[in-house]
Amino acid sequence: MAATESDGRKHHIGIKQGEVGRYVLLPGDPDRVEVIASRFDNPKFVMRRREYTTWTGELDGVPVACTSTGIGCPSTAIAVEELADVGVDTFIRVGTSGSMQQHIKPGSIGVVSGAIRDEGTSRHYLPMEFPAVADLDITLALREAAKESGFPWYVGIAQSKDSFYGQHNPERMPIAEDLQRRWKAWMAGGAICSEMEAATLYIVAATLRVRAGGAMLILGNPDQRPMTEAEIAECSVDRVIDTSIAGLRKLIAADRAAGRIK
Amino acid sequence: MAIFEPDGTVHHLGLKKGDVGRYVLLPGDPGRVEVIARRFDNPGFVAQKREYTTWVGELDGVPVACTSTGIGCPSTAIAAEELHAIGADTFIRVGTSGGMQPGMQTGDLAVISGAIRDEGTSSHYLPMEFPAVADLDVVLAMRDAARERNVRHRVGVAQSKDSFYGEVEPERMPISEDLARRWKAWIGGGAISSEMESATLFIVSATLRARAGGIMVCIGSPSMTHEESQASMKGFSIDPVIDTAVHGLRMLIARDRAAGA
Repeated sequence: MAATESDGRKHHIGIKQGEVGRYVLLPGDPDRVEVIASRFDNPKFVMRRREYTTWTGELDGVPVACTSTGIGCPSTAIAVEELADVGVDTFIRVGTSGSMQQHIKPGSIGVVSGAIRDEGTSRHYLPMEFPAVADLDITLALREAAKESGFPWYVGIAQSKDSFYGQHNPERMPIAEDLQRRWKAWMAGGAICSEMEAATLYIVAATLRVRAGGAMLILGNPDQRPMTEAEIAECSVDRVIDTSIAGLRKLIAADRAAGRIK
Repeated sequence: MAIFEPDGTVHHLGLKKGDVGRYVLLPGDPGRVEVIARRFDNPGFVAQKREYTTWVGELDGVPVACTSTGIGCPSTAIAAEELHAIGADTFIRVGTSGGMQPGMQTGDLAVISGAIRDEGTSSHYLPMEFPAVADLDVVLAMRDAARERNVRHRVGVAQSKDSFYGEVEPERMPISEDLARRWKAWIGGGAISSEMESATLFIVSATLRARAGGIMVCIGSPSMTHEESQASMKGFSIDPVIDTAVHGLRMLIARDRAAGA
């Protein structure tokens, strides 16, 4: 049971039971919440506390919400715990990430089927041997949406890291060789993109018996080479926002068909 | 050590290029290979070396094979490596496992979407943070097959362990408290099935860019006493999981064909 204030609001996110439905999109950036929620029917601001901004709305008549997690797994775990406690059982991460394969070009969409637990939060839940795996139905819905988007898309593993600059400027870190050696291993294992929240989202969701998945816009290059202007022009975050909304609609339709929506 | 012998056979499996197609079912038990291959069209024995027995055949006109891995991840890694070297790129593990969630019944099928790396082999490939995840299309085909055949099933994570008796008789192991504590954590994380090969199969496949998945029949559950678990074995059959795996493989082949793969 996540901590609750006397007015019924969860300690960090400031949301109370009944304010959000079961479906939540999770960007990292609080400023991206309104942008996402503007795709909902009847979008409405609900709350802002710390890095947690929440808007709600409807898709095909079903209540949906969007809450920012802030950057990183520690704040993401709190958001997931507190949202689950007010009735959310389906979490879809949406955001940006870095390419981890030479053939994956900036502007591609990555559907994250599993995550490398290269972070410190998820081990407070389960030993490292346990895999961070996305929910099958969410992954299928996002893959269908990515296929229909017309943009290049990939399904695969994300690296969830705790240090942004450890990825982008490994050479200046005291543990440079370890960072570079491990980055090479993740690439050899076929990881498609690097981000900062999915592993903990999936592990916390596993322990709470809720569903989680994610779609990322993939930017940059695996050798950290700066993007060209032409590559930058491909990197509108609208691509992944529209894909995640389309995927969520498909999931809602599938849930309805399976009798999982009252 | 090269994978290939001078005569063109792979070192441990005794197979050579052309012996198998791209689809391989992987039971643990060599004695189960023929039983599975009898579901293929034109089944034929190909090779037997060590714990590796291979039969081939066809499904819907496409070459398929069945190779035993033996028990455990070390021999499974060798099987996956050598089968991939002769052209296989789709691995489907099929076998028996222990049910890990309360309420599961003996005979329930577990479609394996990911695996707990509670074993020593996969860390020779990738650091422990890397998740052992099954291929999405293999998982989907196995789930659809279980649905079509109307067999009770779940999709979820398997525990891949190195010690069979560490699972079934943890109390007699010197590290019994660790084993019990970790077992409780795996159940807390929602693991559905305890077996001995999937984690390494998935990790090795990730490094080889091959597809892997698995479907297991579950025996017992944490909510059953030992006696109840024993009693639940009355009338147990391996046939449903084999039939579902073969049906799922047919679906995968049909989808690959439709996708032009």
